[in-house]
Amino acid sequence: MNDSKKPKIIAIYGKGGIGKSSTASNVAAACADEGYKVMIIGCDPKSDSSITLLGGKRIPTILDLIRSGVDITEDDVVFEGYNGVKCVEVGGPEPGIGCAGRGIIVAIQKLKKISKVQEECDLVIYDVPGDIVCGGFVAPIRKGLVSEAYVLTSGEYMPLYAANNICRGLSKINTPLSGVICNARNVSREEEIVGKFAEEIGSELIAFIPKEQIVQDCERDGFSVLEKAPDSEIAQVYRNLARAIMSRNKSVMANALDDERLRELTR
Amino acid sequence: MEKEKKEISIIHPRPSSIVAALYTLRDLNVDVAILHGPPGCSFKHARLLEEDGIHVVTTSLDENGFVFGGHDELVALLEKVTEMFNPKLIGIVGTCVSMIIGEELHDAVLEANLDVPVIEVEVHAGYRNNTKGVLFALESALDSGIITEKEFDRQKVLLEEATMVEKRHGAASKEYLAPSRGDVKYKVAQHIIDLLKEGKRGITIMNAKKETGYMFADITVAVNEIAKQLGVESNIVNMANIDDTLGLPRVRHHAKCIMDDFNERGIRIHHIIGGMDEYPIAGDIAGKLIEEKYSDYDFVVITGVPHAIPMESISGMEIISVTNGPRQVLPMKEMGHDYVIVEIDLHPKTLGVNNIVESEFGATLREVAKEE
Repeated sequence: MNDSKKPKIIAIYGKGGIGKSSTASNVAAACADEGYKVMIIGCDPKSDSSITLLGGKRIPTILDLIRSGVDITEDDVVFEGYNGVKCVEVGGPEPGIGCAGRGIIVAIQKLKKISKVQEECDLVIYDVPGDIVCGGFVAPIRKGLVSEAYVLTSGEYMPLYAANNICRGLSKINTPLSGVICNARNVSREEEIVGKFAEEIGSELIAFIPKEQIVQDCERDGFSVLEKAPDSEIAQVYRNLARAIMSRNKSVMANALDDERLRELTR
Repeated sequence: MEKEKKEISIIHPRPSSIVAALYTLRDLNVDVAILHGPPGCSFKHARLLEEDGIHVVTTSLDENGFVFGGHDELVALLEKVTEMFNPKLIGIVGTCVSMIIGEELHDAVLEANLDVPVIEVEVHAGYRNNTKGVLFALESALDSGIITEKEFDRQKVLLEEATMVEKRHGAASKEYLAPSRGDVKYKVAQHIIDLLKEGKRGITIMNAKKETGYMFADITVAVNEIAKQLGVESNIVNMANIDDTLGLPRVRHHAKCIMDDFNERGIRIHHIIGGMDEYPIAGDIAGKLIEEKYSDYDFVVITGVPHAIPMESISGMEIISVTNGPRQVLPMKEMGHDYVIVEIDLHPKTLGVNNIVESEFGATLREVAKEE
């Protein structure tokens, strides 16, 4: 679609379980629907970022293949999912064993070496696990792959706390924040709270995704909303978010709030 | 917390806690030491320890091991070494990688389920004082019933003292210490011979760390040989930390071997100032002895860990020191030692031996004396 332009490479950070993979895969599907070339790179050892783009199927992960000692080519790890979205899963160790952070570093370096797909895309989404607990989790940024970072949160205290911490971490490594996305959990004054948070850290709330059962239902079947329920209201929300991301060219160095202010905000 | 901040940040390379743990396992007479980590970790010392008669092997963790953990590799290696070497005691030492990724050494030992006792040392190289590695190894040995509580407590005191000795005047005393070869051996040898010829009275103090004594003892021997040659044997008093009733089994063995060699060569050790692991505290004993009996002596030749001898007891004498640490030259000169000699590469030559080994300085003394 835009052959001459550099791809937009984004990462979505946020507290574990807040809906990063759901959001990432729905945004990927929505962008693909708009005609963009899209790639999603799942960096979670659970390797479930792309599952709803592949009809519920799992794909071999980069780390599993590295571990087995085979020579890896692009075809072994890059799979085509819904509407041509390129899907890659980094993979990683079982919970509590080894080092998932190192795994991300090793896998994305490998991917860079064997595949040029990222450069041919309009949008690349790195779906990064939970909090930034160690260097490996910011490797896509540190290695200069990611150009835009987004933070996903609900209006609950703990996810906001995590989001705030992530903003602090991003600033620490000189990475500007391109926007805050609210994945609602139906708590009181949710849009207002997250909007205020976004404003106070110096950023913007670029989307409010209401909590809808249909997202869950589609996921359970192994599909994105865009594929399984394209006419739903929530599908339109993801389309809007996709457009917002594709058109966005503004980012700021976030100013993380102190603990007290954060708590005040959520009261 | 506050105290930690005030510590100086030392930038010259130093031995690591991992290596310290390996040497301690050696002193505990393990037959096999397993390094759980990358293949090249602690290579130089692992290699030296092989010369000392223990098998050192590694789980050779690679990038896959870093990411997925090395539990299976460790279990497999435990089984393999048991088969290959038929050991009576095994040690496992952690490394930076295995500790950062949270490897559980004990789980692997349980799974391997061997009939051989295993000392597990969870250690990495990130400790400010490398004596931590010794301490962890001893703690684990205590837990496995390899050493007694009494021996552990004794070792702990010695380690704390050893750390202090290094901080006061040793390799941990300055942010950066340039390595130095020290004074020219030929010149110093000539000077000692001149002192003896002038009828000056001297003291030799061997305050050696464990097996390094095999070479430092040679300097005691050489000084005495030359004194005898010049007919002034009675002008020399000898002190050495070779009490063979103290320390871990291997350390006692070294003391006995060196003492046997002294006896065989007719060298009389007038004062035994401690065990071979007591170099951090034996200096004080030597100091007291000097103050009581030998304060009017003219010179002192100190080998091993010379900076552990309190200056106030020897400051009236000419001080000649022999160390194996190139970074020890400057601090000892600053303390007021008149001559500092370095026995370079001493350690490798003292591993796997049971007899006194000729030192460069001892050889120089003998050569210069021949010309007299």
